[in-house]
Amino acid sequence: MDLKTLTEAFGPSGYENEVRKLLKEAASAYCDDITIDRSGNLVCRKPGRDHAKPAVTFAAHMDEIGFIITGYTDDGLLRFRPIGGVDPRVVVSKLVLIGPDRIKGIIGAMAIHLQTAADRERVLGYDNLYIDIGASDGKEAEKLCPLGTYAVFDSEYTEFGDGFVTARALDDRVGCLNLLEILKNSDYEGDLCCVFVTQEEVGLRGSAGAAFLLQPDIAIILEGTAANDLGDTPPRYQVCVPGEGVAISFMDHASIADRDLFHQMKEVAARQGIPHQIKRAITGGNDAGSFQTAGKGARTCVLSVPCRYIHSGNNVAKLSDIKAQADLAIAFLNSL
Amino acid sequence: MKTVDFLREITRLRGLSGDEGIVSAFVAKQFEPYCDEVTVDVMHNVIARKKGPGKKVMFAAHLDEIGLMVVKIEDDGSIRMGQVGGVDPRILPGQRVTVFGREPLLGIIGAKAPHLLSEAERGKNYNREDLHVDLGLPASRVKELVQIGDQIQLEHRFTELKNNRIAVKTCDDRACVAMMFDALKRLQNIRHDADLYFVATAQEEVGSRGAKTSAFALEPDYAVALDVCHADTPGAPQGRTMKLNSLVASMGPYLHPVLRGKLMDVAKENNITLQTAVVPRYTSTDADDIGAARDGIPTVLLELPLKYMHTTVELLDGNLLGEGGRLLAQFAAAVKEDWEDELWT
Amino acid sequence: MLRDTLQTLLSCYGPSGSEHAVADKVRELLSGHVDSMKTDALGNLIVEKFSADDNAKTIMIAAHMDHIGLVVTNIEKDGFLRVSAIGGIGPRLVSGRKVVFADGTPGVCATQPNKKNPSAQPSLNDVFIDIGAESQEEAEKLVAIGDVAVYAPDFTQLGRHKVASPAMDDRCACALLVELLMYADNQKHNIVGVFTTQEEVGLRGATVAAFTVQPDIGLALDVTGWGDTPETDLPAVKLGAGPAVKIMDRSMIATPSVREKLFEAADMAGVAVQREVLAYGGTDGGAIQLSRGGVPTGTLSIPCRYVHSANEVIDMRDMEGALKVLLQFVDLA
Repeated sequence: MDLKTLTEAFGPSGYENEVRKLLKEAASAYCDDITIDRSGNLVCRKPGRDHAKPAVTFAAHMDEIGFIITGYTDDGLLRFRPIGGVDPRVVVSKLVLIGPDRIKGIIGAMAIHLQTAADRERVLGYDNLYIDIGASDGKEAEKLCPLGTYAVFDSEYTEFGDGFVTARALDDRVGCLNLLEILKNSDYEGDLCCVFVTQEEVGLRGSAGAAFLLQPDIAIILEGTAANDLGDTPPRYQVCVPGEGVAISFMDHASIADRDLFHQMKEVAARQGIPHQIKRAITGGNDAGSFQTAGKGARTCVLSVPCRYIHSGNNVAKLSDIKAQADLAIAFLNSL
Repeated sequence: MKTVDFLREITRLRGLSGDEGIVSAFVAKQFEPYCDEVTVDVMHNVIARKKGPGKKVMFAAHLDEIGLMVVKIEDDGSIRMGQVGGVDPRILPGQRVTVFGREPLLGIIGAKAPHLLSEAERGKNYNREDLHVDLGLPASRVKELVQIGDQIQLEHRFTELKNNRIAVKTCDDRACVAMMFDALKRLQNIRHDADLYFVATAQEEVGSRGAKTSAFALEPDYAVALDVCHADTPGAPQGRTMKLNSLVASMGPYLHPVLRGKLMDVAKENNITLQTAVVPRYTSTDADDIGAARDGIPTVLLELPLKYMHTTVELLDGNLLGEGGRLLAQFAAAVKEDWEDELWT
Repeated sequence: MLRDTLQTLLSCYGPSGSEHAVADKVRELLSGHVDSMKTDALGNLIVEKFSADDNAKTIMIAAHMDHIGLVVTNIEKDGFLRVSAIGGIGPRLVSGRKVVFADGTPGVCATQPNKKNPSAQPSLNDVFIDIGAESQEEAEKLVAIGDVAVYAPDFTQLGRHKVASPAMDDRCACALLVELLMYADNQKHNIVGVFTTQEEVGLRGATVAAFTVQPDIGLALDVTGWGDTPETDLPAVKLGAGPAVKIMDRSMIATPSVREKLFEAADMAGVAVQREVLAYGGTDGGAIQLSRGGVPTGTLSIPCRYVHSANEVIDMRDMEGALKVLLQFVDLA
């Protein structure tokens, strides 16, 4: 499996089928016990021989941000709403793919020549944005894209610059890719589980189910996190920096890292010479929150690939950081 | 009991979130003749089981109601109010209420007279904090009869309008409890394999708390949550309201697409019109918490359009009570073991 | 003595996520007084004291060990520390306060002026901690990103009955729970005292502890707001008028049966109690009540002024009353 194929799979929250299918096929090369649970999570278990060792689960989410079709105008435009947190300011003049058949659409807006001074200041909200698929009237639009059809940004996987990659859904297909790496490379003697979860972007839904089902001792979340490092961002508002390695979190809005795990991660990375950094802000919230509070609770820690422009159609990450995430996850497992 | 009479009676009963004992007892008593066992759990959820050998299916509609609560008694005997659930403060001035002190007491919600307000103040709605309940009693008597934490219920007036439309408080969500009652009656004559649980849930208005615990306890294979949604009213935002005269099957990431497809199929086979609403994230109904119970429960949401939600005149189309009951009964009968294989394809 | 226990616990460092110093102190205090003590994945300290009665119910009583704090997110060139909030801590409350890190490193909080708009309300982004370092390198020797500062301990007697301190929320309840577990003797029911973690960031410790304990009855001990200072009238609760039985807050509507038992216990103990309706806030009770299939749960509150400031004020008479109510409750419930 390669990152290009993974990021090109269609999987907004609630419609992860295509991603799940791809991953299931890829994981089956390294794992014999693969199931789909009641929340649609893909659960890959590798039972251990040594039960004195902690049961460890690694989790990454399959879903991505996107859109959902909510209505039509008489002249054939699609009304839509975001799935997950998509800033309406990043969607104007972007291309989208609608439904698993990937019908092409564009998000248009009134030409600048026709805008008043006030229009130019005003943020276009989702009530005033439309997807144009070229349909001639509302009926045709509805026939092609029924209510509730999902859409994603249409952007091509491209490697560029000095070891960077841009694609949609790097958050969190990088984590999915690295779960496969763990399954492939680990010979951990304790119980190991890699779970590809659904619906992270709409409120940590899938992981809540997985966490309840799996009840590991330790859960490590592999994520993509907002970098916010360029332009005139003062250093103290930079969250993490692409190129400086995998980011280890002490806390976000959904969980506080287990202090011992947090220090252990730093030590393992330093000892093994794996590029790493500390995520320097409390932003976002991810599946660690589910694992920490489901059932009897678990000790958690989050390892993230720094990603720029995370909730847009063009995420940017550095390939070396993606590798560092897998390296640290595996090194940590070997250190247990 | 006719379904409409059930609605008339149940909307009258006191059942503010967190203290639903009275309305729970009523529901348990009415459901009891039509099912195999009925229990009321520690959260006041009513759980009515109609046994079957097949998949476990949970139907859920909430029986709690929004209302007010005594938070302070002023020296002059007027009562300051807090709220239980979200009460629209615009409906309060001049409203009749019952304060459940040591005995039920009629009260009127009063406000400073408009003559005494400044121009600027008149341009704004009253806040709940500006209002008080007047019991028409001397302060000493109020202090004997009323305590902090006593419940205040809004006035119940069951009003039948033209075209079988009904307006009364707490159609949200007792009209859906009435639909479950209707379905239970119909199921007396319909074969079903599924093991059916009709749950009238508590504490929805403060965060679907009863649904959360009952879904955990029952551990169903599938769930159908029932709640109200907004019907068209003048000036409502585009795309946010539905037609009053047919039920709504919502879709979105929190609701299971395959199970929803099954519900649509059943509706079609039985000539029941369903509208579609698209909900991009949480539905703010019991469906959210039922769906997230344990390792996840595939859940769908069926909604009943309502005008003037969270007021004392919540208005619905009375024909939908029977229509909804019919749909639920037919869906219950249609549940198949092999749906399992289609869930994640 | 309740007061000594309180003072001991108030001196411990314990922001949300790093409560082990408090847990260690509780273990020390309770050693020899209880049947078992264990710590779970989130650091909750779960303490059992069994009843001899075969029909005993299990009552989970929770008091949270954690308190609010400031986590270091950046160490600046000139050695000042930038921070984010752990729990509900705001710029107005921290500015000018003395703080301390886990290893005892002291600092003071200050707020930078807003030159463009001097009258603007500061945000936590305007706050920094001065630890006296003169460079980033010097600061990094003392503090790392991710370290957490809390209000420095500062216990003060106010008048005859009142005491002020940081972390009164919720160490006063921890002290009550310690004393209850010490003095409960041949009580009717099994007490599972849980000293919980991460309450201030969303009742996280209590959520998992309740799942593990599976109690028959839940009770949270926490502070509540006050309505007896200038221009503050809700909740209608006064310091010194007794502990408060919670009717509801944002996290929970107390189960009527438990609430009534608390009133009954107070009555039998001869302790005056108040009735509390809080329009904001929540306690571990909210998490316990919704555990598994639901647990009948209530909350007993200690009225506390200036909650989340460095000077949280309570009245020791309310504490003594609360302990009497609790000792009665575990025999009655």
